[in-house]
Amino acid sequence: MEIPINRQKPLTMHIDLNSCFATVHQQAFIHLRGKPLVIAAYATPNGCILSPSIEAKKLGIKTGMRVKDAWQIDNQIIVRTPDTALVRDVHIKFKKIFSNYSPKIIPKSIDEAILDFKEMQGFLKKELPEIGQEIKNRMRKEIGEWISCSVGIGTNRFLAKTAASLKKPDGLEVINYQNLKDVYKKLKLVDLYGINSRFATRLNIAGITTPLQFFEAPLHVLKKQVFKSIVGYYWFLRLKGYEVDDYETERKSYGQEYSLGKKTNNINELSKILMKLCEKMGRRLRNSGNTAQGIHVGIMYSDYSFWHQGKLFSENMSSTQELFKAAKIIFQLQPQPKIVAKLAVSCYRLTSGNTSQLSLFNDRKNKINQISNALDQINDRFGEFTITPAIMMQMNDLVVDRIAFGNVKELNLDL
Amino acid sequence: MLQKINEQIAVIARFFPSHKVFPVKIYWRNQEYRINRLAYYHQYHQGKTIQHIFHVTDGNLDFRLRLNSDDLSWTLEEVDDGNTD
Repeated sequence: MEIPINRQKPLTMHIDLNSCFATVHQQAFIHLRGKPLVIAAYATPNGCILSPSIEAKKLGIKTGMRVKDAWQIDNQIIVRTPDTALVRDVHIKFKKIFSNYSPKIIPKSIDEAILDFKEMQGFLKKELPEIGQEIKNRMRKEIGEWISCSVGIGTNRFLAKTAASLKKPDGLEVINYQNLKDVYKKLKLVDLYGINSRFATRLNIAGITTPLQFFEAPLHVLKKQVFKSIVGYYWFLRLKGYEVDDYETERKSYGQEYSLGKKTNNINELSKILMKLCEKMGRRLRNSGNTAQGIHVGIMYSDYSFWHQGKLFSENMSSTQELFKAAKIIFQLQPQPKIVAKLAVSCYRLTSGNTSQLSLFNDRKNKINQISNALDQINDRFGEFTITPAIMMQMNDLVVDRIAFGNVKELNLDL
Repeated sequence: MLQKINEQIAVIARFFPSHKVFPVKIYWRNQEYRINRLAYYHQYHQGKTIQHIFHVTDGNLDFRLRLNSDDLSWTLEEVDDGNTD
């Protein structure tokens, strides 16, 4: 099957804030500007680097490195921890700017968003590169002069993202049917979003070693030889500029995890952390109007071994008390209690709260749900963790606020 | 070096008719710091209280100030000189 390159006008824009956490920190703290800075989960030698500044990236420091590794490259690297309120505020401000240009904005993560202009074709008064430049200027003017972003424009999300990554920082690139092949000529397979080293190896085995060869590969090779599924067909279309990633994903679970600063096997300490994770997860679950039937607990130990287990329960759960009780049951199933380095809990098998049945004979459960809702309202009004379960007393900020990589669906924005 | 301070301090601020506030001088540990630039402003809700965060500088140090909308108190949360620890 032969399909030509998509020759339609590129109407998808991908915007990526450059070195988001670090840049935002440099915006707020003027004396950090122009210096190699890393934002790490912890400002300790073993802390994981979440975001190196543009200056640090030039020294070869990358996301995921340990702080001590960065210090080995340059002992003058400045280390700071994330200011989550600050980053969320910038995200909200940049989304507000985007909403002036397109009704269809898809936030991909805290620092990335897609603006879809397809439905506005015919109404657009400016060309997309002009709009991209205007957004860049407005971000500098309305958010902060240190804030820069890369803008990519393409006929589909994949090409728009690829275009945004062509020139960093502060780029504005367009990929269309005229320059598509030239762009592929300059890239490596792993530069393509969605192609990791494993996929690259699979492609290599099929004799595909460059993005251009990938682009020119026949459908049957991709579908039957490389990916051995419909995924091959999607890549066949995606590389030619057709949209295949424009679908809504449904949320199937809510989860929280925490890497312990101080690793422990103390059951009381771990119970407190588990409770706080259940409270945070429960708040998100209840806010979504769902209940959950399944609970999953995952534990990474200090010796890097991993244990996890999930279990379905007979009743739908939504209150923190119920979630914690279920998580504790699973937690106690560990075959061999060891020193815990990371604790994760998630709930699944979600049901919409409106459709879950009220218990006819179990009035206690109905009361617990009502109490839970009342506590949520109090915490909404007076601040998170104003009222907490007694087990969480003296916890302070044992589980610190974090911004997840990826999905930001629950970041409620008043635009 | 970043220092977490979290001390209530005295602030002279200018209130503009456009509902904007700008801290002009801060007094901390018997020293006066004249603010010459606002680097970033944002706010967040803590229950019904709005916490206003001002990232400002006097040219030598960066300060993170918090104005509590409930009791109108100013807190100096952080001081950063932009150097490594």
